[in-house]
Amino acid sequence: MEKPTQIQPVLEIKDLRKSFGDNHVLRGFNLVLNKGENLVVMGKSGSGKSVMIKCLVGLMQADSGSIQINNKSIVTLGQVELDLLRTEIGFLFQGSALYDSMTVKENLEFPLRRHKKKLNFKQSNDELILEALKNVGLEDAIDLMPSELSGGMKRRVALARALIMKPKIILYDEPTTGLDPITAKEIIALMRQIQTQYDTSSLIITHDVDCARVISNRIILLIDGINYAEGTYQELIRSHDPKVKAFFKH
Amino acid sequence: MSKKKSQIIRLGVFVVLGTLLLTAALYFIGNRQHLFTKNIDLYSKFRNVNGLQVGNNVRYSGIDVGTVNSIQIQSDTLILVRMLLRSSETQFIKKNAVATIGSDGLVGNMIINIIPREGSSASIAKGDTISSFSRIGSEDMLTTLNVTNENAALLTADLLKITTEILNGDGTLGMLIRDKRLAQDLKASIYQLKIASTNTSQMIADLETKISAIDMENSAAGILLTDSIEGNKIRHSLTQLVTLGERLNEIGNSVENIVDEIENGNGALSYLTTDTLVVRQLDATLINIKESTKRFNENMEALRHNFLFRRYFKKQERVQRKEAKKEN
Amino acid sequence: MSHKLTFSGRISGFFFEVGDMSLFAVRYFREVFRGPYEFRELLNQCYTIGNRSLLLVGVTGFILGLVFTLQSRPTLMEFGAESWMPSMVSISIVREIGPVITALICAGKIGSGIGAELGSMKVTEQIDAMEVSGTNPFKYLVITRITATTLMIPLLIVFGDFIALLGSALVENLKGGVSFTLYFNKVFNALSFGDLLPATIKSFFFGFVIGLVGCYKGYHCKKGTLGVGEASNSAVVYASMLLFIVDFIAVFISDIFFEI
Repeated sequence: MEKPTQIQPVLEIKDLRKSFGDNHVLRGFNLVLNKGENLVVMGKSGSGKSVMIKCLVGLMQADSGSIQINNKSIVTLGQVELDLLRTEIGFLFQGSALYDSMTVKENLEFPLRRHKKKLNFKQSNDELILEALKNVGLEDAIDLMPSELSGGMKRRVALARALIMKPKIILYDEPTTGLDPITAKEIIALMRQIQTQYDTSSLIITHDVDCARVISNRIILLIDGINYAEGTYQELIRSHDPKVKAFFKH
Repeated sequence: MSKKKSQIIRLGVFVVLGTLLLTAALYFIGNRQHLFTKNIDLYSKFRNVNGLQVGNNVRYSGIDVGTVNSIQIQSDTLILVRMLLRSSETQFIKKNAVATIGSDGLVGNMIINIIPREGSSASIAKGDTISSFSRIGSEDMLTTLNVTNENAALLTADLLKITTEILNGDGTLGMLIRDKRLAQDLKASIYQLKIASTNTSQMIADLETKISAIDMENSAAGILLTDSIEGNKIRHSLTQLVTLGERLNEIGNSVENIVDEIENGNGALSYLTTDTLVVRQLDATLINIKESTKRFNENMEALRHNFLFRRYFKKQERVQRKEAKKEN
Repeated sequence: MSHKLTFSGRISGFFFEVGDMSLFAVRYFREVFRGPYEFRELLNQCYTIGNRSLLLVGVTGFILGLVFTLQSRPTLMEFGAESWMPSMVSISIVREIGPVITALICAGKIGSGIGAELGSMKVTEQIDAMEVSGTNPFKYLVITRITATTLMIPLLIVFGDFIALLGSALVENLKGGVSFTLYFNKVFNALSFGDLLPATIKSFFFGFVIGLVGCYKGYHCKKGTLGVGEASNSAVVYASMLLFIVDFIAVFISDIFFEI
């Protein structure tokens, strides 16, 4: 993929530290996500990827370090401002995290309830929902319950929900985990399509090398709680570092 | 959307019904305590309120008309009770009515009964005090009951002693019940009585024959006897004597029967208790005896006035008088 | 919190839980009066908790009244005191049995339901998803549910009491020939505000406790399906236990204020 033309950081993590008792998960992690970029963070299970992304959206409190999103430090924000900032971020959860008790439509409507007015959308809720569902190819599923959807469909609905506020940054937490290879490919294709359509910057957390290869502009390897290695897919597979090599070995 | 709407409607129905139930319950309870009606206060003074409490009912001729509002001790012997009465009922309560404290059933709550009294008087007004009458409380009742119980216990103990003695054959009654020989003696005596009465009856019949054989026209006795007044008297006496004899005979028979029956049982009393017929017969017999003796007395009186026996009786009287004089 | 099952670990775990739950309750009171209010969800929860539990509460209440009266009849008849049945049944149902039994049933149905629902939402990251989408999940999920239980369970108790008395009146009507009018006349004669008010006040606390424990257990559910089961189970156990503690305190307090 061609590199983004202008380099403008939308998300910046500096020296992020987080530990659970004696378990030091993050030991000074740094990351910069530029506008229009697809950045992949790779790491083994339990390496702290999910912790990092949760700290990023304020679901977890970091022990130390700074997190800047669109030049706002989320550590210092109050609840109201944080909630407003969160509307600028789409989050695709690992297990889709659709609300079981609501229909697809209500799932998509949920983020709109509080923040639609502040965001000055001209479209009605129904139009926004339909548009988001069209973009993920699921406009027929609008009145279904999550329990009636397949794993791939759930992921698409979750993606539609992440897109409903038209965010500029999308965080993907293991977008292909638990899906069969074909569906995983479809989801990856969808992610790319959305990236161009919505002009978003994406931070993707995965341990799926194929996913990383297809979608990434840049990859950060999170090993031992720090950004161990950084570079494009091509650069990294040529690395001689044994820890890095271990990732790309099939 | 319509599903949501119907849900909200059903929720509304639920909430309204629940709230109504609660309010209704509160209202009815409050109504009992006369919170929502116009009330007037009425006072009465008691020496003893027998455990009356605030909130107890006040009744007028058995109808709830209010509740006890407060109870205050005024002096060492006087307790002031304030009652709240529904003003709609107060027109019927007169100033001369009397308040008494009673209990609603034996173990029920204490209540104040307002009892109307004879005579006209004005209806009670706000703040009036009516006279009171301290009735026997359930406590006093129980004390009395206790004494009664103790007496009953003593009585039964004595009764037990008596019955035990009777059964053991002690005392007259015991002897009567246990002794079979006595019953036989009784039978024998009655048999003798029967023979005696038969003889009497026969004797009187003879006398009658003899009297009828007297020449009524010619003999002195006949003249005497045909004297209408004296004669009637004598005839009457004789008839009565005959009846008496027959009756005595009957009595003798029935008493004999009774004694026979008694003998067949295990003692007299046990038979008496098992056969009511005997009891009735005995009763009838006794009445007969009483009647007979009364008539016998009458006959004797009649005889005394008859010329044939007058002298004898006068002589008897004289002897008695002499004896009385001697004694004095 | 230590997961070792040592004695001191359990003790400190217990105190941690008590403290944490108290903080949860404090957070509820801090946030309940502050906007934004989730009225739609509150109504939804009121419907789920109130209307959906009415049948269960009604059936158990009816049977309770029926059985209670049937069982007490022989004893009262022995004393020739059948006429005291309405007073006895109404006072015990309104004061104690009705609220406690209804609350226990609600702890079983509603408390466990909330615990399992929030637990599974926690496990599947739905709560996180809410937070990320800019909606305060505490307001949306916890405030609405605790408020709904606090408001609805007293109403359910009122219904439960009433239906239990209906059941009792039915028995009296069929077995003792007591008319419904006489029965309820005697009931209201026997009851006083001192019976109804403390019971009603305490039923609000019952509702609060059921909602609080269910939400706390669900909100702090451990990962995995086992965690969900545990959350729902311990919600019932803790709620039932707390109900009795609240009841004890309520009886204690009403004893002082209402002179039972």
